[in-house]
Amino acid sequence: MVRFENVGMRYGAGREVLRDVNFALEPGSFTFLTGPSGAGKTSLMKLVFLAERPSRGLISLFGHDLALLKRFDLPSLRRRIGVVFQEFRLLDHLSAFDNVALPLRLAGRRTADYRRDVEELLSWVGLGERLNDKPATLSGGEQQRVAIARAVVAKPDLLLADEPTGNVDPEIGERLIRLFVELNRFGTTVMIATQDRALIEATRAREMRLVDGRVIEMRGMR
Amino acid sequence: MSLADRVERRRGQTLPREQGAVSLDLVIAIMAFLAALALGGVMIAERAAQSWQAGLTGRLTVQILPQGDSAPESEVGAAVNVLRSTPGVVYAAALSDADNLALVEPWLGRDALVADLPFPRLIDVRLVPGAKPDLDVLSTRLKTAAPHAVLDDHGRWIERLRSTAGVVVLAALAILALIAIGTAASVAFATRAGLATHREIVQLLHLMGAQDRFIARAFEWHYFLAAFAASVVGASLAAAVFTAAAGLDQLGFAAVSFLPPLGLSTAELPWLLLVPVTAAAISWATARISVISALKKYY
Repeated sequence: MVRFENVGMRYGAGREVLRDVNFALEPGSFTFLTGPSGAGKTSLMKLVFLAERPSRGLISLFGHDLALLKRFDLPSLRRRIGVVFQEFRLLDHLSAFDNVALPLRLAGRRTADYRRDVEELLSWVGLGERLNDKPATLSGGEQQRVAIARAVVAKPDLLLADEPTGNVDPEIGERLIRLFVELNRFGTTVMIATQDRALIEATRAREMRLVDGRVIEMRGMR
Repeated sequence: MSLADRVERRRGQTLPREQGAVSLDLVIAIMAFLAALALGGVMIAERAAQSWQAGLTGRLTVQILPQGDSAPESEVGAAVNVLRSTPGVVYAAALSDADNLALVEPWLGRDALVADLPFPRLIDVRLVPGAKPDLDVLSTRLKTAAPHAVLDDHGRWIERLRSTAGVVVLAALAILALIAIGTAASVAFATRAGLATHREIVQLLHLMGAQDRFIARAFEWHYFLAAFAASVVGASLAAAVFTAAAGLDQLGFAAVSFLPPLGLSTAELPWLLLVPVTAAAISWATARISVISALKKYY
């Protein structure tokens, strides 16, 4: 599904934020990416969801060597990835419904085809009554749930989440993790960057620990 | 809320309407107003050239140049006789002094002194439709009968009218081209500003797997609708100006009596619709090209 071989990354002429990173995410796996702040978790995620290019090394995604792909081929790969950004990145001018529906619109589906799915998903994350509300009127936790719903609505092959439970209360957090586990059970490969030990222990998934730009530890199997 | 806003809201627009959009609307409305005036100018010049030419085709004028204070009356009569005996001529008659004064009135005014000027005597000649008498032979015969006669088939005048109308049309087309370039430049600038303003949204859509053309479509539609709505306003104002000018012409308030009417007829006004259609098309294409070229820089 995802394979990194000797991957290094730097921003511009700065120092390398990732060094000699090697790992593989097998299809259907569930992995936590952990490590202290500044360890390079977000940079690694950016490489996986094709927001940045590596400075060196080889990245393979869905069986494709990224170095060999043309720019035109990348959008179809990106559409197979659901991302929950740390800062949510919702579109402020769109309602919760339209934000969640965005990946489906990008996939070319029509509103009539996905309306019920989107409404059900928003109800599931506890926002069934706030379909038409804009992000500015939602609390941080509610915005995070919209962001998560948006990431999972198209049933992606790969789900990446950066601190997805950071702004929600424990009960909602548990519910969201159940959603990720459920998706994983249906075949979606999941990688979650977090520092929430309770979450990791509760899920008992594989843990990949990143320190100072290097993967130093792989624990657990799932 | 503008028309563009309403249509985009119904479409669940991907981009919000950026601040500063009103300025672009205003620029496009003004451009459309000027373009519609130029287009109307083309139609008026074309129509004038045709009507002048139609009015002069099939007619000749003979001048008997004045000798001293007046043209020799005997030569006027001789010339009229020659003309009336020429095959193809259906009418030949000398203009009276009153007719002469009426002809020069638009330029010199109605003044007692004008009547004292040494005018040539003019003979108005009408031909059978389609008749083409040999003008060299006719001119020689006239010179023999009336040495101070000059034959004018209006060819030079028609040619000058044609070239003047051509220059007016070319100038108007050049203005239209400049307006088109100006509109495209304004939209390109606004699109780039829009891309900068919506950088976050564009990046997000890009990361979510939007093809460049999906993102471009959001901008294209935005500027297509905005340009169409704004240019309809501009072209409508120009149509109102032309309609008012036509109304004044009909009421007898012509701006300059010897110029063609400056209004457009109801058959001509619909051509002004070309302005919003073209403005919208230019805006659409410019936005598309600008966005796609800017997105090429993204990974």
